[in-house]
Amino acid sequence: MLRFVANRLLQAIPVMLIIITVSFFMLRLAPGGPFTAEKAVPPEILRNLEAHYGLDKPLPVQFITYLGKVVLHGDLGPSFKYSNRTVNEILADKLPVSLELGGLALVVALVLGLTFGILAALKRNTIFDYAFSTVGMVGICVPTFVMGPLLVLTFGIHFGWVNASGWYTWQDRVLPALTLGFVYSAYIMRLTRGGMLEVLTQDYIRTARAKGASETRIVLRHALRGGLLPVVSFLGPAIAGILTGSFVIETIFQIPGLGREFVNSAFNRDYTLVLGTVILYAGLLVLLNLVADVVQVWLNPKLKFE
Amino acid sequence: MSGSKNSPLAQILLAGLTLLALCACAKRDPARATDQVLRISQRNEPATLDPQLATLPDEFFIIRALKEGLLVPNPAGGAPLPGVAERWEVSSDALTWTFHLRANARWSTGTRVTAQHFVYSIHRALTPATAAPKAHLFFCLAHAEDFYRGNISDPSHIGASAPDPLRLVLHLAQPTPDLPALVASGPWIPVYLHVKLVDGKEEFIPGRDLGNGPFVVTEWHANQHITVSKNPDYHSADLIKVSQLRFQSYDNGDTEERAFRAGQLDVTLSVPFSKLGSYAPPKLQTQPLLETRYLALNTARPPLRDPRVRRALALAVDRRALVDKVMKGGQQLALSFVPPGLGGYESAGKLAGDQTEARQLLAEAGYPGGQGFPRLELSTWVNTPVLEAIQQMWKRELGIEVAIAQREGKIHLAAVKAGDFDLAFLPAIPDYASPAALLDEWLSSAPTNYARWRNADFDHLVQTASHETDAVRRLLLYQQAEALMLADLPLIPLYFNTQNFLLSPRVHGWQVDNLWNRFYQAVHLE
Repeated sequence: MLRFVANRLLQAIPVMLIIITVSFFMLRLAPGGPFTAEKAVPPEILRNLEAHYGLDKPLPVQFITYLGKVVLHGDLGPSFKYSNRTVNEILADKLPVSLELGGLALVVALVLGLTFGILAALKRNTIFDYAFSTVGMVGICVPTFVMGPLLVLTFGIHFGWVNASGWYTWQDRVLPALTLGFVYSAYIMRLTRGGMLEVLTQDYIRTARAKGASETRIVLRHALRGGLLPVVSFLGPAIAGILTGSFVIETIFQIPGLGREFVNSAFNRDYTLVLGTVILYAGLLVLLNLVADVVQVWLNPKLKFE
Repeated sequence: MSGSKNSPLAQILLAGLTLLALCACAKRDPARATDQVLRISQRNEPATLDPQLATLPDEFFIIRALKEGLLVPNPAGGAPLPGVAERWEVSSDALTWTFHLRANARWSTGTRVTAQHFVYSIHRALTPATAAPKAHLFFCLAHAEDFYRGNISDPSHIGASAPDPLRLVLHLAQPTPDLPALVASGPWIPVYLHVKLVDGKEEFIPGRDLGNGPFVVTEWHANQHITVSKNPDYHSADLIKVSQLRFQSYDNGDTEERAFRAGQLDVTLSVPFSKLGSYAPPKLQTQPLLETRYLALNTARPPLRDPRVRRALALAVDRRALVDKVMKGGQQLALSFVPPGLGGYESAGKLAGDQTEARQLLAEAGYPGGQGFPRLELSTWVNTPVLEAIQQMWKRELGIEVAIAQREGKIHLAAVKAGDFDLAFLPAIPDYASPAALLDEWLSSAPTNYARWRNADFDHLVQTASHETDAVRRLLLYQQAEALMLADLPLIPLYFNTQNFLLSPRVHGWQVDNLWNRFYQAVHLE
């Protein structure tokens, strides 16, 4: 297994290099720059600004300098937009918020998704199954930018139980986590239901039943392990999606997380901040896919590390 | 778990609702609507609170709460008022200005604000390594531009000196009647000499900040909120009634409006278009702005090279319909480029003519009824119904087709700057209260002359006016210059913008002006 992990990590190096290179040049080829404003600045001022940030040097030189700093020192450079802050500081500041939001949303997604998925599989083709599937389809179809404001209008403004936005108290976590988690819970529910249905018809489940195991034991000990396989392979990219795709939620609820920072940095042409976030997200994605693969082998004895 | 009436779905829903209801019982927000904390919406996370590096009004909303310049803008819109300077006088040749500083102006550390701090701040703004985006606002000082361009290296040659701690003397290259307006502008706000400098920039240290204004920063949570608290060392501290201002971050008008409705916010920055109808004064506030929204016409491209075509396009727009039927937000129709009242200026010639004349002009230019007129592109960064209305008006009145192209902000601006456009929707926002702030942008050499319009007479008039010391004659020169512009029409003025925002009834004395300045002195909460 160590060999497998080491191998995959080695493969990640060229992947990351390609991502950094492509992002760097794509970003630079995009029209406009960090100093493009409504009022064009006089050329001599623009020259000084560019010299100050090292943008006057040839692009390949800038790339090598940047890459050198990132690889050798882990230094993602100063932000172009926020004059007194470095990208490392900004990421360190924002990542925990996104992790917290993502983590809570994941809990919501797993609790709702697994519970209703298992229930739907056990009671297949009953009114419950149809009801859960319908709610699940709605969850997948209703976009977060509709769901979020609806929840705010209901619980934040009409009932006044929670704040409309903000990220201060634990109550502020409830609506964002629900909104973000609900979409994923719908997917997880459908995958769990499908996986469970397949497993529940297998011979070994019938054997377990014949041996007199209780229904709870059959579901939790025997069926779940196999039934969860599709969920696990989904979870790798899904966790990355929850962490990186939270821009809409962060905007609706004004959460100071990484998603908002990422999108705004692209609008601001904050070159270093965009690249820093891309590197972080890419790293997370590579890592989470690896974890998903490892867990899958662990759950499914038929698979081997190769 | 079988099909009893007490289904798991109902149980879980009940548990969820109970959890939400529980939320209501606990304390909700660090800043509730109880104390003298004014909660203001902040749209953009400030890139910096350094007055010499900041560019956006959003940044100066906070900077002006923290720091005070020699002069400050006048809430009533007239000549600037005393700030750190108590009084000032100008020499008979109009080249030497002497500012007398008040003796009780202090930094939040307790140190006195002296003329030397201003000299240092001016040098700093003009030092190339500082990379100040608004350095040109200091070019009126003697040798300032030479120093900025590196022709001279000793900053002591710049026309700013401090003969004693309470006297600042400015020597100008040429008479500059706009000097008070320039001195009151944001980038002229001083920075503290003893602040730690890193690469020519101030290191921000929360808690022990470096202001000389009514408030000091006490909390800064990026993308969340910035809290400033009353500064007891401010010279007029006894006039400040609120104890804190809390600038809360909202990315768009919808989020902001929901927070306002939930009672989490006292002042918004805008009102979503769809919500304008649901509010009425005094909650809904409408502030006219000295800000022109216009279309720049690329005069380097046919058929817009032909002034008759430009005039036809300008006359075919029904501005009354734009502001009354499309915008409906209190905007004023614009028949001139400079908004009325900017630095005491009123346009003399207004754009006059009707649709019939527009059709005639287009026919004279060789496109009767729009025949053979190429399909032009109208580019914008913002989705506004105004442009669709104009598209319709041109089609109806002139029989011509334009395509609307909405692009992301920086792409739009980069294309406009590069001259890669036909017609572009743009705002004109003056940096300081003078017609010069807008007309200078249309000099042949100006980088902001996006229309690539060259008019030697206009250049001459504007340059003469900027040094004309006789106020009446000066405004007359500007009027003549603008008249040339309106005759040749490198741009189509559309409307003078307004700011619509929401104000909580508990806020009294909230003051804003028509140049995006805010005044926190009179505000108090009930």
